Amino acid sequence: MNSRENILSRIAANKPDLLELPKVNPDVFIDGKNIIDEFTKKVEIAGGNLFEVVSNEDLISQVITMFPEAKINFSTLKGTESFNTLSVDANKAPQDFEDLDILILESNLGVAENGAVWLPDNNMPMRVLPFIAKHLVIALKKEAIVTFMHQGYQKLASEGTDFGVFISGPSKTADIEQSLVIGAHGALSLSVFLM
Amino acid sequence: MSHSKAASIFNKDEKKVNWHDKALWFVRHKRDKSTHTVAGWEELRNLGHGIKAHTLSNLDTYLIQFEENALKNGIQVHWAADGDEHNRIVHSILKEHHAKKVVKSKSMLTEECHLNPFLEADGIEVIDTDLGERIVQLAKEPPSHIVLPAIHKTKEEVDELFQEHLGTKPCDGDPQYLTGEARKHLREKFIQADAAITGVNFAIADTGGIVVCTNEGNADMGAHIAPVHIACMGVEKLIPKQEHLGVFLRLLARSATGQHITTYSSHFKKPREGAKMHIVIVDNGRTEQLSRPDFRASLHCIRCGACMNTCPIYRRSGGHSYDATIPGPIGSILSPGKDLKKHSSLPFASTLCGSCSDVCPVKIDIHAQLYKWRQIITKETPQPFVKKTSMKMMGNIFSKPMQFNKVGGIARWSLRNLPKGVINSKPNVWGKGRDLPIGPKESFDTWYKNRKKDE
Repeated sequence: MNSRENILSRIAANKPDLLELPKVNPDVFIDGKNIIDEFTKKVEIAGGNLFEVVSNEDLISQVITMFPEAKINFSTLKGTESFNTLSVDANKAPQDFEDLDILILESNLGVAENGAVWLPDNNMPMRVLPFIAKHLVIALKKEAIVTFMHQGYQKLASEGTDFGVFISGPSKTADIEQSLVIGAHGALSLSVFLM
Repeated sequence: MSHSKAASIFNKDEKKVNWHDKALWFVRHKRDKSTHTVAGWEELRNLGHGIKAHTLSNLDTYLIQFEENALKNGIQVHWAADGDEHNRIVHSILKEHHAKKVVKSKSMLTEECHLNPFLEADGIEVIDTDLGERIVQLAKEPPSHIVLPAIHKTKEEVDELFQEHLGTKPCDGDPQYLTGEARKHLREKFIQADAAITGVNFAIADTGGIVVCTNEGNADMGAHIAPVHIACMGVEKLIPKQEHLGVFLRLLARSATGQHITTYSSHFKKPREGAKMHIVIVDNGRTEQLSRPDFRASLHCIRCGACMNTCPIYRRSGGHSYDATIPGPIGSILSPGKDLKKHSSLPFASTLCGSCSDVCPVKIDIHAQLYKWRQIITKETPQPFVKKTSMKMMGNIFSKPMQFNKVGGIARWSLRNLPKGVINSKPNVWGKGRDLPIGPKESFDTWYKNRKKDE
């Protein structure tokens, strides 16, 4: 018997009688908090920055002022092509983006309870980008924010994403004596622009 | 070495013990602050418990479903009965891809299987990329905590370690500088890696996908750059549906560090174009634990570490004193199932205060299981002479009320009159490092009867 059969037959023999799968009722968690206020607060707790803008142009001009030293930039937002200093195509390897200073992506889902934004790989030309870029900037519509993770997954249920990530704040670590340091292996900063 | 002996060595440096205790209590406190802001937290814990219990009761079906979906998604699936087979599978995948340089993100399973030495023996470089894990790897030590692997190291120790291995400048343990240097050092490793190994936090049966949670982004930096991604998971990582992540991702980070969610919760379903993805599903004693009705709930564990941070014994004895891959309360109920003799002292490394069960996000009855392991261990493994005889004597005394009263009287008198040197003599471990209270003049029984008389 190979290990697969072996493991499966041992489980079949050792498992308890079937127990019922509990139903998740998200209404139990309703806390009446203001969704935008809560999202703003949680993005900041996670070490991110939050801004409000009216248009993509407005967003780009704010980003340029925030990072005057940035040289290598890439954005997927409509009408921001002049911001890009490089192109992302299939011929390039993930390693080629090591020096990417600013990456601007769009998110279609934010979660108020933890300040996380969802990035599916349809929204990014290459999976490594939001991790390898020094400064990650996310554009998010206010209507795209839900209260809890439960509602977030309800929205994702119909999406067949091959890869996707919830990101909350910049990369961080507290592995040296519990001192929080922003900027571990991923982005050194995360800015969310609400529209 | 028994836990108590290893703990007494750790306790020789009292200042460091106090520092360790406080560092972990700080994390426990952060957990409290964040969980208290969640309406319905207890309901969330109930759901976590219920979903895991259901999954275990149908685990074979879910594993088959998971495999079927993962294969459809273009992921190769492997099955390993034990740690040795797991290591051989990972090794053969690496060989197949001529991988010489491997970056690994946190995976307690690969620690449990001792994967690194196995691969290193064949000249493969394995770099642990979580900062805490890299610190203990450089120090040639195992992690002392499952979420905070280097919690036992002071920043000055890390400073010295980095000077020696990474050529950093002396900095009085400046965490900002040291982390920055580690980022540069590991960035190079990510860029050059031939393969990436990650753990798995959750495997979803109905999508065939896996979720990996990190704060540093190291799992993603590995998996999205290297041409091969190998994800290693125990059979118990399964959950039925993607929507259940809503429950577990709300519980995990809050319980672990007090964050509302980890920085990155990465959902892998298909390999990226041109890359390969493998999943290794491992048993290594888990199906046996499933057969034990009293202990199977230990397989609910989502590895948050909250039971360690809250445990008065763990905080004062350090993770290494457990001499097990998973230390602390949860480790003490998992390890005896693997090797009862080697880990026979672990279920006794507890005051049975129950704090571990109170903070557990999936409501494992940890302290009750510790108590149950004690019953088994006392029967099945040889006990120290003093403990055995004193237990027998106590059993004898408690079974005869007259004798109990007499001995109680003598004990109370002794605690009032005998010199401390006699009371705290060697066989009385309760007198070690503390004084026993002065014996009262009368027993509770006498006091109660007198009180009744006065009514």
